[in-house]
Amino acid sequence: MPAIRVDGLTKSYGQTLALSDLSFEVHEGEVFGFLGPNGAGKSTTINAILDFIRPTAGRVEVLGMDAQSHSRDIRARTGVLPEGVETYDRLTGREHLQFAIDSKGVGDDPEALLERVGLLDAADKKAGGYSKGMSQRLMLAMALVGQPELLILDEPSTGLDPNGAREMRRIVSQENERGATVFFSSHIMEQVEAVCDRVGILRDGEMVAVDSVEGLRDSVGGGESLRVTVDRIDDDAVQAVRSLSDVSSAAVDGKEPPTLVVQVDGSKTAVLSELEERGLEVRDFSTTEASLDDVFQSYTTDREVKAR
Amino acid sequence: MSSETETGAAAGSTADSPSSSINLESVRTVAKKDFQDSMRSWVFWGLSVFFFTLLVTITGVIAYFGEDIAAQGATTDVLVGLVSEITRLIIPLIALVLGWKAIAGERETGSIKILLSLPHSRKDVLLGKLIGRSAVLAISLTVGFVLAAVVVAALLGQFDVADYAGLLAMSILYGIAYTSIAVALSSLTRSTTIAGAAMFGVFVLFYVVWNTLSNVVWLLASREILFFDTVTYTTEIQGQSVEVERHQDWVYFLVNMDPGEAFRRTLTLITDADLIELQVELNAEMFGGELPFFLQDWFSFLILLFWIVVPIAIALYRFDRVDL
Repeated sequence: MPAIRVDGLTKSYGQTLALSDLSFEVHEGEVFGFLGPNGAGKSTTINAILDFIRPTAGRVEVLGMDAQSHSRDIRARTGVLPEGVETYDRLTGREHLQFAIDSKGVGDDPEALLERVGLLDAADKKAGGYSKGMSQRLMLAMALVGQPELLILDEPSTGLDPNGAREMRRIVSQENERGATVFFSSHIMEQVEAVCDRVGILRDGEMVAVDSVEGLRDSVGGGESLRVTVDRIDDDAVQAVRSLSDVSSAAVDGKEPPTLVVQVDGSKTAVLSELEERGLEVRDFSTTEASLDDVFQSYTTDREVKAR
Repeated sequence: MSSETETGAAAGSTADSPSSSINLESVRTVAKKDFQDSMRSWVFWGLSVFFFTLLVTITGVIAYFGEDIAAQGATTDVLVGLVSEITRLIIPLIALVLGWKAIAGERETGSIKILLSLPHSRKDVLLGKLIGRSAVLAISLTVGFVLAAVVVAALLGQFDVADYAGLLAMSILYGIAYTSIAVALSSLTRSTTIAGAAMFGVFVLFYVVWNTLSNVVWLLASREILFFDTVTYTTEIQGQSVEVERHQDWVYFLVNMDPGEAFRRTLTLITDADLIELQVELNAEMFGGELPFFLQDWFSFLILLFWIVVPIAIALYRFDRVDL
């Protein structure tokens, strides 16, 4: 049973189509990164998952239940960190936590949760005096109440400094080890890269790619770039490398020492043996992975992309 | 269409609780949170202090200069009459100010998502808000009434506590009616600006429009416009039979629908005070011996309940069906 199943989800606001026939699944026990630029429809999707909005067409199932008719049951077993939300100015951090604990009917200790997100010192301060990062931590703590089976985190790093973002990722990993499925949205690739098992990329209300982090790298042309230092270089050798099936491009990158940069999708040894067959001596080589940010860019900007 | 999957899902969960159901424990939790939150609103306390001051000052002045009245044993009447008039005018103001942001404010700041990320239904949230804010209002009123009573008691010695308690109880009910109107209107929009305008609209409707209703209808009737008409009845003035005109029944009914008017008429039921000024004096003679049931004072109590139940009921129905 998938933790989340989105099936043909369409949402339009008047003339504007926010989501168009979106389908994907989040497997039980995984950390799923839901990636897309701002305005791609991530929040709309999450709002439909939580029954904050009603789909124009299609359906959503969470933990095997219909998102609309069983929303309360779903939310009893889910922890949510909503996006772009203000906390209650006049209530303290502790009162926020107590409210979440009472709401879920569990016996968690507010202090333990506040400590986990590094907010214990501010437990009795009113949330109106919290910084953006502190509010975000507070809401993360509220999401953790009751050891939920599913965590839905909408842009959890908003307002967090790099340190805070790292802390947040650590908590995500801990929760995942505990057995929770984590559904995690972001518009920044590097934040999902470190913690996510799989990533879905949303663009203009459509899922343009769903794959593991590795798979995504491979799916984009020039998944890896191979840097080869040789004793000498000749045009024939470069041509021969270029004509290899897995190679998308090859170029000379400097004469001292002679270096060749090859974008390769599959076997790197094929490139190396081709060079050696041509009588070139390979002195050194290194590979660099295309950064996931490049992958993300290629999916979400108008550059030509071979999808999937 | 999707009945198969739904049955499967229902079987999977232990308790089948549809999302739109009301869970009392949830309502209580939301109410408690909302109570904590609203109790700390300085706008609310500012208004309450204004209310206390007005109440205490006026009752104090009356008590001080009213020794003659006291001698006649009419203190409670004066007190109830005055306090009820102040209350009638100020409570709607406090309730509307307390309630206008109840839902719209949370939708505007997004904090409604905090509430609804937790296992509360939208109905739980609405009812919790109504109860939480009504409780805050009730506390404010109780404090104000007790303060006023202390001043009067100190100046005059004693007064009828039962009448006064009845007035407090009815005032709270009246306050809940306006809170229900405020929370309901607040749930219809996600803009606090629109919600604020709606509150102002309610204020104008019941303070201005409704108060002139009787006169306007009279005017229309005298010119025989549309279906407006008057009814003629006979009464005896100084032994002589005189023909007098009165409104049609429905006009009185409409005038009585004003929560403030309902509040006044209900008060005549539970206190002996004669000094409550009704907008339209009704007597049995006008209706040939007996008042229609819907114009009797006990019916005003139902009208007050109507104003508690109907606005929130409409909101409960509608709020379940909107995108947040």
